[in-house]
Amino acid sequence: MSSSGPAIEANAVTKEYGDVRAVDSLDLTVERGETYGFLGPNGAGKSTTIGLLLDYLRPTAGTVRVLGRDPRRDIVEVHDRVGVLPDRFGLYENRSARQHVAFVAETKRVDDDPAALLERVGLGDAVDDDAGEFSSGMEQRLALAMALVGDPELLILDEPFSGLDPHGVRRVREIVHEETQRGATVFFSSHVLGQVELVCDRIGVLHEGQFVAEGTLDELRNRTASPEDATMEDVFVELTDARVDDGGEPR
Amino acid sequence: MRWSPLARSEYRTVLTSKGAWILALLVVLWGFRPTYAGWDAVGRNITIGYIQIGVDLFLPIGALLLSYQSLIGERTTGSIKFLLGLPLTRTQILFGKTTGRFVGIGTAIVAATVVLAGIGLVEHGTFGLLPFLGTLVATLLLASAMVAVGVFVSTVTRRTVTAATGVFAYFFVTLFWSQIVTSLYTAVTGIPVDPYDAPASGPLFLALRLTPDGAYNVLTNWFLDVGNSTELFHIVYTKLAPGVSVNAFVVEAAFDGGGPWYLHPALSLAVLLVWVVVPVALARRVFTRGDAV
Repeated sequence: MSSSGPAIEANAVTKEYGDVRAVDSLDLTVERGETYGFLGPNGAGKSTTIGLLLDYLRPTAGTVRVLGRDPRRDIVEVHDRVGVLPDRFGLYENRSARQHVAFVAETKRVDDDPAALLERVGLGDAVDDDAGEFSSGMEQRLALAMALVGDPELLILDEPFSGLDPHGVRRVREIVHEETQRGATVFFSSHVLGQVELVCDRIGVLHEGQFVAEGTLDELRNRTASPEDATMEDVFVELTDARVDDGGEPR
Repeated sequence: MRWSPLARSEYRTVLTSKGAWILALLVVLWGFRPTYAGWDAVGRNITIGYIQIGVDLFLPIGALLLSYQSLIGERTTGSIKFLLGLPLTRTQILFGKTTGRFVGIGTAIVAATVVLAGIGLVEHGTFGLLPFLGTLVATLLLASAMVAVGVFVSTVTRRTVTAATGVFAYFFVTLFWSQIVTSLYTAVTGIPVDPYDAPASGPLFLALRLTPDGAYNVLTNWFLDVGNSTELFHIVYTKLAPGVSVNAFVVEAAFDGGGPWYLHPALSLAVLLVWVVVPVALARRVFTRGDAV
């Protein structure tokens, strides 16, 4: 089985829930080694798309390849090489942070040291603390440590900055840099725009299940009437507002 | 195996819960009931009878309550998103869950059995090793059947309250199983069923022994050699004793000879196995199709 090709490749992927189309004929390619920011307002379909990439959800139409493989048929192989930080997750109460990380390491069959990973995300002082007592920021850090287990080729981080204080946000950014230095591909969704422009090589802006724009920050600025020094936020608001004003019709 | 860390984690979840040990305690407290009828029925094997009494009442509901949350619980808290992100197929997730819960509940129930055996040994002396081991195997089979049903309920429901409703529906249906079966039998055949003098109907008796707890009692009564019935061992003995009238369905009391071949107690082993395999297969079918969150 070949595992060549882009890190993520989605072709005309659609996901419908009854009459609601959460993802609408989405084409998405993320090259290996890239840091890709998946942007969009709440409810744009970001988490649904991520669910489709990981086979949490099955597409109504279209195809998905992750690391050159079918995430449904080759789920073990794909998940072995992917680290996931999910959105709106819950932890296991009555289990320590160490047990959480060790569980992932055992299932992935790698001998990563849970304490070292927890130190890396800034939970060095809470290694043996009960995760049920964690603040939302600590939960987020623990989930990141679980995603980093086994040096994955692809990190899929769904809203990695949510619930984090400024120190935490900086730590996540540093880790994303370290991971891309190592050669990993990082795909993350966010609506925290400032972080995206600091971290990402390329950005896709999703709105109502479709891309309204995709490219580097400069390219996105050029697509809109935004001034040279426009922030990501200006670009984002302009792009998604335009969609709302014209009734959200596809490109 | 890929799913053994998951199974270990489930096992730990069960054994660190109070529920598993409350179940074990209830089996011991309820099971230990020395009676003259019990002693007359099986002598020193009454110790094995204690296991039957405790397990028959508490294991089905206890094992269900300890397993019906296994998947729905992770769905509601959102931890299922970590589980599904692991390098495991959905089938492996299901097997890991089922196996881990079974081993946890099995450990607690074996502990209860050992305590009852110890009490019996002190109170009444030695008992038959083979009927004891047979009962132990039947008990573990019943535990696995109930875990299979619990995981099935957990897989096919989307809300905890629906799953809990499913568990209690199962509990009440099996609790009133003989009333349900006899009412249906009367409705279909027009023949009234008097439990003091039951009609010699193969299908009626077969239907009565299709529940997991019914099959468990048939098997353990067979090991205790008291008679062929879904009732508790001392009731079967009393029913078959001359000159006593009891409202219990016992094959030897209704049929001249042993009754039809399909009422052989050994077939209750197959009934229990079906209760293990079918829920797991159905759960797998549901869980591997469509969306998992």
